Amino acid sequence: MKALNRRKLITASAVLAIVGLAATAIPAQAAEVGVSSTQIKLGMTLPMTGTASLGYNKIPGAAKAYFDYLNANGGINGRKVTLVVKDDRYVPTEAVAKTNELILKDKVMALLAPLGTANVKAVASSVNPARRGVPVLFVNTGFSGFADIKKYKTTYTVLPSYVMEAKIMGQYIKENFAGKKIGLLYQDDDFGTDALAGFKSAGTNFTIKVPYASGSQTAAAAAGWITKFKAAEVDVVILFGVSSATSAMLGVAAQLKYAPQWMLGSVGGDATTIKLTGVPAGVLYNAIGFSPVPATTDMKDEYVKFFSDIYAKAVPGSPFDLNVLLGMNTAFMTAQALKAAGPRPTRKSLMAAIDSKGATFANSALVPAGYSKTSHVGLTGYWVGKYSPTGDLSPIGGTYVTYTTDSGSGPVVKSTYKRPAMPAKGLPN
Amino acid sequence: MQLLNTLLIGITAGSIYALMAIAFVLVWRSTRVVNFAQAGMALLSTYFGYEAVSRIGSFWVALPVAMIGGALFAALVELILMRLLVKHASSGPIAGVAPIIATLGLLGVIRSVISMIWGGQDLRIVAPISNNGFTINGSTLVFSPLKLLVLVVVAVLLILLTILFQKTNLGLALRASAHAPEIARLSGVRVDSVRTLGWALAGAAGAVAGLFQTVNGNGNFSPDAIDFSLLLVSGFIAAVIGGLDSLLGAVLGGLFLGVTISFVLMYISSGLFFIAPFIILLIVLFIRPQGIIGVKAGRRA
Amino acid sequence: MFILGGVVLYFLSGVVDELRVYQGATIAVYVIAIASIILLTGYSGQVSLGHGALMAVGAYAAAVLRIEFNLPIILCFVAAVLAAAIGGALLGAAAARLSGPYLAGTTLALAIGLPSLANQFAVLGGEQGLLFDVGFPPLALGEEFTQYKWFFWIAALAALISMWVIRNLLNSAYGRAWRAGRGNEVAAQLAGINTARSKVLAFTISAGIAGLAGALLAMTIGTVSPSAFPLALSFSLLTGAVLSGITTLGGVIIGAVVLVAIPEIADVVAHRLGSSESVTTNLPGLIVSGLLILTVLFVPNGPVEQHRARKAKHAAQHTSSKKKDKH
Repeated sequence: MKALNRRKLITASAVLAIVGLAATAIPAQAAEVGVSSTQIKLGMTLPMTGTASLGYNKIPGAAKAYFDYLNANGGINGRKVTLVVKDDRYVPTEAVAKTNELILKDKVMALLAPLGTANVKAVASSVNPARRGVPVLFVNTGFSGFADIKKYKTTYTVLPSYVMEAKIMGQYIKENFAGKKIGLLYQDDDFGTDALAGFKSAGTNFTIKVPYASGSQTAAAAAGWITKFKAAEVDVVILFGVSSATSAMLGVAAQLKYAPQWMLGSVGGDATTIKLTGVPAGVLYNAIGFSPVPATTDMKDEYVKFFSDIYAKAVPGSPFDLNVLLGMNTAFMTAQALKAAGPRPTRKSLMAAIDSKGATFANSALVPAGYSKTSHVGLTGYWVGKYSPTGDLSPIGGTYVTYTTDSGSGPVVKSTYKRPAMPAKGLPN
Repeated sequence: MQLLNTLLIGITAGSIYALMAIAFVLVWRSTRVVNFAQAGMALLSTYFGYEAVSRIGSFWVALPVAMIGGALFAALVELILMRLLVKHASSGPIAGVAPIIATLGLLGVIRSVISMIWGGQDLRIVAPISNNGFTINGSTLVFSPLKLLVLVVVAVLLILLTILFQKTNLGLALRASAHAPEIARLSGVRVDSVRTLGWALAGAAGAVAGLFQTVNGNGNFSPDAIDFSLLLVSGFIAAVIGGLDSLLGAVLGGLFLGVTISFVLMYISSGLFFIAPFIILLIVLFIRPQGIIGVKAGRRA
Repeated sequence: MFILGGVVLYFLSGVVDELRVYQGATIAVYVIAIASIILLTGYSGQVSLGHGALMAVGAYAAAVLRIEFNLPIILCFVAAVLAAAIGGALLGAAAARLSGPYLAGTTLALAIGLPSLANQFAVLGGEQGLLFDVGFPPLALGEEFTQYKWFFWIAALAALISMWVIRNLLNSAYGRAWRAGRGNEVAAQLAGINTARSKVLAFTISAGIAGLAGALLAMTIGTVSPSAFPLALSFSLLTGAVLSGITTLGGVIIGAVVLVAIPEIADVVAHRLGSSESVTTNLPGLIVSGLLILTVLFVPNGPVEQHRARKAKHAAQHTSSKKKDKH
C-alpha cells in the first residue's frame, strides 16, 4: 500500500511540475520594464562603503541632484527619473547579487554607471544584461575591453579608456621628459594591465614598475613603494591607481620628504578626495594630472557653474569635486538619451537613440564622444593640467589643450574639438 | 639605504602586530580561547579614543581612555559571553568550535553596531607627534618620532606584563587559573575574576594596537578599514608564530612577521601582500609546530 | 527520499520567479559547502577557517579546464572535486601536526592568501578572474527556460547527489571512525583506528565537496576571481554549519536558507522601520552575527539535535515515571 501511495505522489508531483513549467512558458503581456506613465526607473551599483568607496560614494548624490532638478522641470516627457542605488562594496559577487535585485526585483529599465572593471565583467557574464536586452549605460570604468560590441552588446562606455590615458601620458612624457627615469605604480589587475598596454603602445620605458595588490594600499605599504622608487632614483613617478592608493602614496611621501615629479592618473587623481585624507595641498603642487571634463574649480565654464550650483543646493556643505562633476555629467547625458528615446521609451529605443544621436549629446567633456551604430565608445581623450599650490588641477598655461587617441595603435593627436554650448537651463531639448 | 628602510618598515609594522599578538596571548593564557573579536574590540576602543580626542583634544588623554574603555568592554564580554559559553557549550563536538564561532559572531556584531552608531565614513585621529621621517645625512629614513614611540610602548608593555605574570601573586593566579582551574580554586584563587582580568588586560593592549595602527597610517579609520582586518589576521598569525603561550613569543612573532613580510614585498614583489603571511606561517609551523617559544602539548591519555 | 526531493524542486523551479530561482541556486551551493564543514568539523572534529580557499581551488580548476581545453561541464566539475581534494589532503597532512588554534591560524592564513595567488599567474586570470561559462540550457527545454533555472537545476542536482554521498559516508565505517577520533583520540587508537589517516581522509573528502561547491558558485556568478572567495565566505560557512547543527547533516538546508534569506529579511525589516541609511546597510550583518552568537549559546548543537534531545529527555522521564508507577 505504502509503495503505491508513494508512486501516486511522485506521479502527481511530476504532472504538477510539468503543468507548472508550461504555465511559466506563456510570456507575460507587459509594458516596458521600468517605465510607467509617471516614472522611469534606473539602477546603479557601486562601492558606497569600504576601502574602495573613497570619493566614489558621492556619485549617487550627484546624479540624483541632477535628476531632481530635471524632475522639477518636467522630467522626461512628464516622467520622473528615479535612481535606485545599491552598495556592492567593490566586490564582484555582491555586484552580481545587487544587479540581480535591480533587474529582477526593482525592475529597472536600465543599469546606470556601474563602477569597477571586475564588477561590470562579473555582471556581464552572470546576470548577462546583453541577453536580457538590459542597457548598461555609461559604465564607470575605463577598461578598454568594454568597447567590444560583440561581447558587451548593450554596454556603453563613457570614460576614456585606461589604454587611451596611458598613451596620452606616454606622449606627454616623450615630449617633456625625454631621457628622464620613469617609475610606475599600478594596480595588480586588469585596471593595471590596460595601462601597461597603453604605455607599451606609446613606447614608454620604465626604470621600475611597482604593482600593488588591490586592497592592500595602506600607508605602510606606501612606505615600501617609496623606498623602491627612491632606490631606483626615478625622476618621474606615475600613480596609476585608485584614490586610496594615490592618497596613501602622497601622504607618506610628505612624511618621508620624497618629492619626485608626480603624474596622477585620472581615476585616483581627484584633488579634493586626496586632500580629505590629510595629504597636505603642497604635496600636489606641480604634479601633472589629466581630465576629460573641465577643471572642477573653473567657474568660468558654464557646465561647471551650472552643475555646482545645483549640487550646492541639493547637497549643501559637500565639496564639488571630480566625482560629482562626472556623476552629474553622466546623469545629464542619460537624460538626453531618455528624451531621444521617444515619447514611449523602450530599452531598444533608448539604445538606438544613443547609437544614432549619442555623439551629439551635449555634455561638459572637452573631447568628443564616439557613439555610433558600430561603436559604444564614449569619450576619447584628456587635457593635461598641473595642480596649483592649493592642490587644484587646472590646465597648463591656462587654456585647455586636449589630446585624443584610441585604445589601439592609433596615434595621439591634438584635438580641435569645439564643445557646443550647453542647452538652455541645462535640460535636454 | 633601501635595506635599512626595509628593516625599519618591518620593525614598525611588526611592533603593532606584536601589540595585537600580546592581546591574543593574554586571552589564551587566561582562558584558553582564541578571541577573534580582538580586532573588533581594538576598533571599538579606537572609536572611544576618537570621542575622547574630539571632546578633549589631546591624544595623550585619548590613549588611556581607549585603554580603559577597551579593558572594560573586554571584561564585559568575558563576564557575559564567555561564561554563558562555558555553561552551555562546553561538551560535544561544538566545544572546540564554539568559542571561535562566538567570537567571530561578536566581531560581526561589533562592526555592525559601530557602523550604526558612528556611520561607515572615515573618521580621523591626528598623530600626537610627528610622523615625518628622521633625516640623517640628507636622506630620510622610514622612521619617525611616532614610530619610535610605538616601539617604546611595546617594549614597556612587554616588560610590565612579564613582571606581572612572573613576579606577582596576581600573575601566578592568572597562570594557575588557565592551566589548572580546579586546583587554583582550591587554593583560594577567585578563578572567574582572574579570567576576567586577563581579558581586560587584552582589551587594553588591543586598544593601544588599534590607536597606533590608525595614527601610524594617515589617521583615517572606519569600520571597514583594511587596517583592522590586517590587524586581526597578522596579529593572530604573529601570536601563532610566536607560540600562543608566551608574551615574549608574541613580540618576537610580531617582529619576525613584520620584518619578513617587508623584505618579501620589497625584494620579491609587492603584489604578494596577501600571500606572504600565509607562506611564512606555513614555513614556521612546519619547522616548529608549536611556534617559536611554544610549549609542545603533551599527550593526555 | 532524495528522489522525492528532486521532484519537489523540479516543481518549485517552475512556479517561482527568477530571483528566487537564482537564490535557490545559491542556497544549493551553500548546502553543499556547509555539508562539507559538518563532515569535517562536526564529525571529524577539525576546525577549518579556510574552506573558502578550498572552494576557490575547485572553482579555478573547473574554470581553467573549461577555458584551456573546453571540456564538457561534467568533467570540469569532477576536476574541481579532485583538485580541491588534493589540496585538502595536503592541508590535512599539515593539520595532523597542528592542533586547535594553530590549525585555525593556518586555515585562516590560507583563506586570505590562497585566492590572491591567482594574481601571480596569468593563466589564473588575475584579479579580474576567469570566465566560467556553463553554456546555455539545451534547446530541448524550450526557449523560455532561463539561464538561472538552468543554474538551479544543475546546482540542485549536485546538492542532492552530494547529500546522498555524504549521508552514506557518515553512516559507514569511515563516519564511525571520525566520530570515534573526535571523541577520544587515544581510545580510538586503542580500538584499532588509524586516527591520523582518518583525519586526513576527512579533510580530503571535505575539501573535494567544498571544491564542487566552489565550481557551482563560479557557475552562478559566471566568473572566478579572488574577490569571490573572501574571508567572509569561510566565516559564513562556519555560521551556516552552526545554524544547521554542527552534527546534523539534515539541518544543512536551514543554515543555507538562513544565510541567503537573512540579508533580504533584514532589508525588508529595516525599510519597514524606515530607519536611517547606516541602520539599513548594517542590519543584515548585525542579525546574522547576532543569530550566530545566540545559536552557539543556546542551541549549540543545532535546532534538530536540540529538538531530538528534548524529545529523548521527555521520553526518558515518561518511562521513568511509568517505572515508578509499576513499583
